[in-house]
Amino acid sequence: MDISYELIAAIILAVLFLFFLLRTFNRLVSMRNGVRSAWSDIDVQLARRHDLVPNLVETVRGYATHERETLEAVTQARTQAMTTSGSDIATRAIAEMALTGTVGNLLARVENYPALKAVQDFLLLQEQLTSTENRIAFARQHYNELVRQYNTSLAEFPRNLVAGMFGFSSASLFAADAADQANVQVKIQLSGQRDR
Amino acid sequence: MPPDSASDARPFQPRNPETFFAAQRRNRRATRRMSALGIFAAMIMGVPLTLVLTPLIYAGTLLMAEIINHFSPLPPEFWQSANDVGQLASRVGNYFFNHRGTLDTNALIKAIALFLLPGMVMAFVLWLTTVVLFRRGGVGGALASMQAREPNQADLKELQLADVVQEMAIAAGLPAPKLMLVDSSGANAAAIGTSPADARIVISRRLIDDLDRDQLQALLAHLVGSIGNGDLRIAFTVTSVFETCGLLVAIINSPFGHQSRSAIWRMVRYTFSRGSSDSARAVEAEAVASMLAGGLDMNSTDVDRFFNKANPGLLRKFFRLVFFPILFTNMAVELTLWFFLGVVVGPCMALIWRTRRYLADASAVELTRNPDALAGALQRLSEDNSAIPGGTWATHLFVINPQGDHTARDPQVTPEQLRQAAEVWAGTASSGGDVATGPGPIGPGISATVTAYSSLRSEIMAAGLAAARGDAQAAARMQAFMQAMAAAHGEDAAQFHMPNLADVTASRHGDREAIARLQAQNQQERAQRQDKHGETGLQAQSFLSFHPPLKKRLKRLEKMGARFSEGAHARMSVGARVVMAVLFVVIVPLLAVAAAGMLVVIAMMIMLNLVFLSLWLAVIHAIFVWLNARWAE
Repeated sequence: MDISYELIAAIILAVLFLFFLLRTFNRLVSMRNGVRSAWSDIDVQLARRHDLVPNLVETVRGYATHERETLEAVTQARTQAMTTSGSDIATRAIAEMALTGTVGNLLARVENYPALKAVQDFLLLQEQLTSTENRIAFARQHYNELVRQYNTSLAEFPRNLVAGMFGFSSASLFAADAADQANVQVKIQLSGQRDR
Repeated sequence: MPPDSASDARPFQPRNPETFFAAQRRNRRATRRMSALGIFAAMIMGVPLTLVLTPLIYAGTLLMAEIINHFSPLPPEFWQSANDVGQLASRVGNYFFNHRGTLDTNALIKAIALFLLPGMVMAFVLWLTTVVLFRRGGVGGALASMQAREPNQADLKELQLADVVQEMAIAAGLPAPKLMLVDSSGANAAAIGTSPADARIVISRRLIDDLDRDQLQALLAHLVGSIGNGDLRIAFTVTSVFETCGLLVAIINSPFGHQSRSAIWRMVRYTFSRGSSDSARAVEAEAVASMLAGGLDMNSTDVDRFFNKANPGLLRKFFRLVFFPILFTNMAVELTLWFFLGVVVGPCMALIWRTRRYLADASAVELTRNPDALAGALQRLSEDNSAIPGGTWATHLFVINPQGDHTARDPQVTPEQLRQAAEVWAGTASSGGDVATGPGPIGPGISATVTAYSSLRSEIMAAGLAAARGDAQAAARMQAFMQAMAAAHGEDAAQFHMPNLADVTASRHGDREAIARLQAQNQQERAQRQDKHGETGLQAQSFLSFHPPLKKRLKRLEKMGARFSEGAHARMSVGARVVMAVLFVVIVPLLAVAAAGMLVVIAMMIMLNLVFLSLWLAVIHAIFVWLNARWAE
């Protein structure tokens, strides 16, 4: 017998190792693609919000004359968010969260104007915007969940070797710290005052 | 958070808190366990079925062989092997039932294979047929039979609903399912389809009016989550098992009646009707599927009609004689299916499906992070009529049992209902004068307490008793009260229907016509109530409902952090529990005995089937031998 048992064992081990490599690699790739497509889902909804906000501002401006500051804060936040649209996720998250806050604030204040609530177009717009806000929130939840799973599997023991070998890097959550958010709010208010 | 609101809230501490991720993992495991059990159960059901079917298949083969042999003689090897099979069968029978002769392992294995394989192959082929046939159809058909429509773009509420569906699909990372609405008085919702790509969500319009946005969202999250969990495929598999059994019954019944023949004929026509439009095909698929499912009912009348028809013609008499042995096959198959589907396979399928519902509940909590909303929606729906007409075999797909589920219903009378009843009662005081036996009249400013409720009830009951004794004034007042309550309740008016009191009084004096009138009215009401109950579909075949009890669902939601009103926590009293336990102890052995008796009956049926089939074959063989002899002359 020329072929020793050691050789057979080595071949079997090598095949098993290759199999493991293949599976892990494919799994990581599919997870990364999942994260990317979830991110593009968020992107679609963010763009939709950027389109809707000017309409809302215009509609409200005609009825709610006392809300100039709120409206300007919304416009500012939107501009801010649109200028960051090329940068990385963390920066965008901060800007978009600020927009979420100002839009939420506006929608809450609008409740004080019964005349506005009687306009069919406004009701449609309000529904669209509310739904878009919800979609952003849910898309974000989905994205963050996928990122959490992806990052966990990148860090777990046998997989982290494969991930390092093929250069998988961890994805960042779509989230903003409370401190960052407050920071942006202040900036927006300041810049709004400067414009005046 | 302000301090007083914190102290105001019920101190909330679920006994065994569980995250929704843990709940999902647990329910997935449960599904796997139940599926294994289900497959095992199906195999167990297969044994008696094949024992019935295999002899029939052999008999059919022999019959065909005799006919062919009559025209062109078959090789002697064929008859030799047929003879061998017969010898083997008689050897096995002798060994097991008469304890005579010997049997080696080899022969035993051969015998088992010969007896089980043909039936198993046939069942598998039938199953494949139904799976392939109904893979595409059924969805559109179910929608058509429920008269589902697209959402109205001009209606803000329906637009909102469409938005919520989109939101939940985004939350689950799925393609958005298509939303369809049903204008029905029942409040219910279902996910229908064959894969996430062509899934539809069907919602009754009533639901939109009954639930707030958060609750709708939670309910839709349940449906979307269930689509994401792959429940559509599981539902399809579950349905196909029942359809296969229905097809089997239809085939076995086909010699006897046009009902099963037309089911088979329509199925064949459906198979080859590639040309017609998709929607027409879908409707046809639905019709065929529900016909097959309906064939499983024990009250299918084909066989009865065949054998019980008065004044049969000569041909019919001849056919009766010819088909007589198959009657036993037929009965054995129907009995086996009825018993095993109802007690073994059906409950397993129901349990699989229940784990999917729990899983979807956990997924809904994951998607919305709002267990309160789902619990609130379920509790709200349990108080509604949840029947949706149409979609006969799809009833198990609905969120709430269309037959209604009262396990989570709040047993307490709400102060609102009490106030209403008191007002109505006070309002009728003028129409019928005071009833002397009752306490004083209660004003409309009544405080909604339990004592007020009990005094009101005793007053109304006293009036009712007086009316039944023949007090005209009390009768008039009761009549007015019932009418006013029915008017106040609008849709649920039927429950306040009251028999004509004059008739009641007359019937007490022995008026036959009055009794007949009362009976007719009673029957009419019963028929109406049957209409209100949803069609049962697959559920009718199973001893266990496909829907988990709402109370259990709410309990599990509570573990995931849901809070709901106290009514759902209503518990049985200690006495009732003891009675239930005693009943349980008595009934379980009785049920076991009944099941064993059923098994014995089925075994006897199988034996009778064997005996009559062999007699039948012997007669046919004799006829052919005689014919061959004549032919040779």
